[in-house]
Amino acid sequence: MASAPARTTQLQIYLPIAELSMNLFFLVGIGGAVGFLSGLFGVGGGFLLTPLLIFSGVPAPVAVASVTGQVVAASTSGALSYYRRGGIDMHLAMYLVLSGVLGAFGGVAAFAALRAAGQLDLVISLGFLLLLGFVGTLMLVEAVRSLLKRRAGIVVREKLPNQHNWIHGLPMRIRFKKSKLYISVLPVLGIGLCIGFLGSLLGIGGGFILVPALVYLLRVPGTVVIGTSLLQVVAIMAATTILHALQSQSVDILLAFCLMVGGVVGAQFGASAGKYLRGEQLRAMLAVLVLAVAIRFGYSLIVGPADPFSMAVIGLGGVL
Amino acid sequence: MRALAALVLLAAALLAATPPALAEKLVSTVSNDEVSITSSFAGEKLTLFGNIEPEAGAPQRYVEGPFQVIIVVTGPLQDRIARLKRPRFGIWMNTEQVVFDNFPSFYHVLASDKLSDITDEETLGRLNLMPESQARITATPSTADEELFGRELVRLMTEQGYFGVKEQGVVFRSSTFYSGQVSLPSDVPPGSYLAHTYVFKNGELITERSEGFAVRKIGFERFLALAAQQQPLLYGLVCVILAVFTGWLGGVVFKR
Repeated sequence: MASAPARTTQLQIYLPIAELSMNLFFLVGIGGAVGFLSGLFGVGGGFLLTPLLIFSGVPAPVAVASVTGQVVAASTSGALSYYRRGGIDMHLAMYLVLSGVLGAFGGVAAFAALRAAGQLDLVISLGFLLLLGFVGTLMLVEAVRSLLKRRAGIVVREKLPNQHNWIHGLPMRIRFKKSKLYISVLPVLGIGLCIGFLGSLLGIGGGFILVPALVYLLRVPGTVVIGTSLLQVVAIMAATTILHALQSQSVDILLAFCLMVGGVVGAQFGASAGKYLRGEQLRAMLAVLVLAVAIRFGYSLIVGPADPFSMAVIGLGGVL
Repeated sequence: MRALAALVLLAAALLAATPPALAEKLVSTVSNDEVSITSSFAGEKLTLFGNIEPEAGAPQRYVEGPFQVIIVVTGPLQDRIARLKRPRFGIWMNTEQVVFDNFPSFYHVLASDKLSDITDEETLGRLNLMPESQARITATPSTADEELFGRELVRLMTEQGYFGVKEQGVVFRSSTFYSGQVSLPSDVPPGSYLAHTYVFKNGELITERSEGFAVRKIGFERFLALAAQQQPLLYGLVCVILAVFTGWLGGVVFKR
């Protein structure tokens, strides 16, 4: 754990649940910086914010639980604007959200069990390493390939959404009109469940896993994929925030609010900046960012921590 | 005559039985008996001071030093766990752990001189004054090496500023009046604190006294912390509503 931040500046804010005071500008600043990136890439940014908070000394349970609140705020404005433009498949979103909330129950329960067993930080580190490493590598390969093709002058033909794969052969098929899909409900529920579980366990929205899953596995068309994914993230993270508040009481509303304010403002600038970059370039940059976080987690797992000993409070002692 | 002799003997016996004048008493206090945690709380400094005086009704009118003072400030007790990471299957993970029940969350020792100069090892050990002794008292038996884990826990607590020993942390302003200062960091655990003052003379403990003070969240911070514990569902809902509202407002303000 890092030492408490310097107390030289006056603008300290005391966080009543984390039980420490932090610099207000620092909190709004990292919220803004992550918000900028999330607006730029169209992801929630939880996968960056949670580690950043943990590295700056916020207890891991408080960081994970409070970031869920920030992800809700960051994704709401995007989800609303997609909703107004008709960019959400409500039918598909309903199935994703229902199974996602179920997954979130599992994730929060696993969170509490791992915390009690003392293996929470290991699972968080491993989860980030494997998940981000895998997704980041895939994204980087895909983005670099299409960048190279563009440079070679080959016209890239986007994969058509009606190209089928094995998933479309599963039973219990349902028609999703807006997505122009007639697919089995099983993979939809499975994806929702996984994202809900991982999101609540790791304190991430999961948008960066959900979007590729919807595109490559279900062939959801590009017009509704971002909006539907944003709505799912808002719903899952809202449910997770409430579950964390009930289960571990580690949601720090002041911490979350500082991050939200920075995040919402930063996201607007990020979205504007995103217009000046091409899709492949954005995806390549996001892939590098995702991989960098994965490597940071992998490094401490393999090289070992600076201090092999750690401590944690596991309960209140008897009355003094 | 025999009666007189018996009386003299009795008086002598009584005199011999009474210990050498234990006539000092300590009058001490803390500058704040309540430390309030507000939104701008960034730690606080407390001054502990006191005077060594003759006991009321004691024959002599003044006390003779030199005196030495040790003040121990203890925070609320918590159950704490110390864990050791070791490489397993190529990755570093927590392997062994030792639980310390009712371990102080804050433990600072202030002394007017080097502890070893104030009194001997045996007295320091008997009074459990050193931070290390806290780990020894509270460790629950386990298969791991409790001694090692206790030392490491105290080291971690010291690095975080929760534990500390400040020799020369108490200064005598006159031969009997002393004061010392303890800093509470911004992440100090709220609860009741105890400042226990020990007065030594020639290496012997002659008198001691305790003062309590409380560290409490007040106002809005207290309200939030209580709400999170007592109304977790409502608290969670308010967090979500706040988040949705902030996100919506951001979208409206920036016309996204």
